[in-house]
Amino acid sequence: MTALPAPERALCVWCPDWPVATARRTQPARVGVPVVTVQRVDGRAVVTAASAEARAEGVVAGLRRREAEARCPGLVVVDADPAADARAFEAVARAVEAITPRLVLERPGVLTLPTRGPSRYFGGDATLARHVLDAVRSVGVDAVRVGVADGAFAARLAARALAAAAGHVVDPGGTPAFLAPWPVAALGGSDAELAGLLVRLGLPTLGAFAGLPASAVLARFGPSGARAHRLAAGLDEHATPPAPPPPDLVETAELDPPATRVDEAAFVAKGLADRMLDRLGALGLSCARVVVEAETEHGEHLVRCWRHEGTLTAAALAARVRWQLEGWLTGAASDPRRPGGVFPTGSECDHGASTAEIGEEAFATGGLTLIRLTPEQVVPADGRQLGFWGGDAAARDRADRALARLQGLLGHDAVVTAAPCGGRTPAERVRWIPWGDARDDGDHPDARAAAWPGAVPGPAPARVYAPAVPADLLDPDGRPVAVSARGEATGRPARLTCAVLPGGGGPIRAWAGPWVHDVRWWDRRGRRRRALWHVVVGAGESDTDEVACLVGIEGGRASVEAVYD
Amino acid sequence: MAPAPVAPLPRRDDDARAALADTARRARPVSAAHERVVEVPGPLGALIPGGGLRRGAVVAVDGAAGAGVTSLVLALAAAVTAVGEWAAAVDLDGSFGGLAAAEAGVALDRFAVVRRVPPDRWATAVAALLDGVSLVVAELPRSVRAADARRLVARAREREVILVPVARGGAWPAEAALRFRAAGGPWPGLDAGSGVLADRTVRVEIEGRGVAARTRSGGFARAGLARAG
Repeated sequence: MTALPAPERALCVWCPDWPVATARRTQPARVGVPVVTVQRVDGRAVVTAASAEARAEGVVAGLRRREAEARCPGLVVVDADPAADARAFEAVARAVEAITPRLVLERPGVLTLPTRGPSRYFGGDATLARHVLDAVRSVGVDAVRVGVADGAFAARLAARALAAAAGHVVDPGGTPAFLAPWPVAALGGSDAELAGLLVRLGLPTLGAFAGLPASAVLARFGPSGARAHRLAAGLDEHATPPAPPPPDLVETAELDPPATRVDEAAFVAKGLADRMLDRLGALGLSCARVVVEAETEHGEHLVRCWRHEGTLTAAALAARVRWQLEGWLTGAASDPRRPGGVFPTGSECDHGASTAEIGEEAFATGGLTLIRLTPEQVVPADGRQLGFWGGDAAARDRADRALARLQGLLGHDAVVTAAPCGGRTPAERVRWIPWGDARDDGDHPDARAAAWPGAVPGPAPARVYAPAVPADLLDPDGRPVAVSARGEATGRPARLTCAVLPGGGGPIRAWAGPWVHDVRWWDRRGRRRRALWHVVVGAGESDTDEVACLVGIEGGRASVEAVYD
Repeated sequence: MAPAPVAPLPRRDDDARAALADTARRARPVSAAHERVVEVPGPLGALIPGGGLRRGAVVAVDGAAGAGVTSLVLALAAAVTAVGEWAAAVDLDGSFGGLAAAEAGVALDRFAVVRRVPPDRWATAVAALLDGVSLVVAELPRSVRAADARRLVARAREREVILVPVARGGAWPAEAALRFRAAGGPWPGLDAGSGVLADRTVRVEIEGRGVAARTRSGGFARAGLARAG
């Protein structure tokens, strides 16, 4: 552990509740009233950000919309729009870029920058923090916090510290001590599940978690746990310092004619993102940071770096590139110097020309002629292991999108996949799980294969009716067949009629049964007692037109439970 | 995923090479897009002109209830999921047997079943599925407009997705490269009051167009992989 260098010192700019702030800018009537943004997750509207007024009433991110409205009457609910948030945050990024060009966007509302160069130039971290705060406030964003610490993660927490409104600086080397008292929930994001488990294990703070031996954490929680452990200990997120990737991984697309609309550019960028991740994937690498570059027909050169906790997936990368292109292409509209801009303060000074990298304007004045994606940090892909057979991530994404769309159309549980489980009848032996929900086969494979006394023998029926379809099972004299308490039939079944059979039913050519199923006899309400038969019905004139079905008799009524189709 | 036929050890190099190539072809995880045909293993594949389903083609299936229509489409879905791709089925009455799908060799985690599709949204749902998976089994509602059907055929061809409309008694009102008819078959195993139901061989008639115009018929049984495991 001592061999690891301390992470690069970083400054984090955090605009709290950025989605709410964006929503308020577009509609000033929302200022001063409780506002939340909601997003649909798994068919439920979930709060993603809440204003301070709403939080005072107990509304927090993660609540369902209905519950949030119950806690806070008069709540204004706005649909989340990450693209608009990113577009608005571009103005903040431009203001900070005037101080240092090497900034990295994490998500709309959060950006980090390495402090080594700029701190030396401005004369210390505290002065730099003050400059950054001034720059951000100059574009009309007052709710901003700045933290400086060793590593982006600690800097983000420092920005959340109480004193961060004036810039909170953690002394070099003091990061582990600063992190120690924070609750493990601060790991956030993809580690939320781990954090919950750690609390139950009696490790409520980052300091307690960091005290565990690294090898033990790796053995128990895998690479993602080891990553969280390194973060908690104030070390760098990656065990090995990310290497600069070879130049041939850069993906470039030239656009002719130039793209002036966001969707055109985003379409091209999506292909670039997929190609880049494919090639990285083929090398066993994944990308934690990506630089999006664009050139316009007026010769402007725009660069922005995006970073993601963990590694970027194809969908996450495509979304970020799209946000960025939107920010550039619609940036003219949000330019502070033009009337009607998003941040009409007028006090911003244009530092755009102060860096060689960035053109005069930090947004596109014409169509984009070139889009380039450069993976800046590549790390070994250890987090996600694709299936050995048929691990086609692109096809999986495609299917995911189409099926999620259908779920939006028809309801979450209208799209399902089957999971076998233990049971006796065909309907019991399979569970239908909505697409996207965890297919954790609750039953151990042994439970499925275990002997289930009284299970229906034979092949599995291809059509299982739940609830069963009412039918008539008649003996040769035309009376309904009944089953006695001892499980004996009153007659031999001779004819079955049911709506699902071709021609409405027919004579029975062969049968087996009855088998009595008396299940949950200890449970007064769950008890079911029924008799099952296998019957083969002659459906037509020919000897070979046979339909096999599973017939149940319960409470004196017959029904077809399944057809072997 | 189909079990390789057990054969005596090849004597000559050529035989060995051919066997190796065959094994490699079966074991290849993902079929590339340019491979236009999804091979159907077993006796069913031997009946199909070309040995498999061409991507972008429409394969219409019909037959009476209980005649083996569902087993037939599950066998086709199994062929697609066996090469690592996704399949989906529109299940109008919510009665698809998940266990039967497993027994037919379908990889269940790549086989989505769409239920509760109202008739007026049927075409939209099938079109959405054509965007996402490699084979779509679509049970036809009572009436399908010919214009909708033609649009779905065009979309399937464009997306290179195999569309399998399943008509029960009715008919698919548009073109189809192949038409399958499940014609049932006797059920073995049961007797008058005794015996155990055994798996049967489903008779299937296949009608194609052009060079494949000759009607072929034969039988196929389920793969039975899952039951063995």
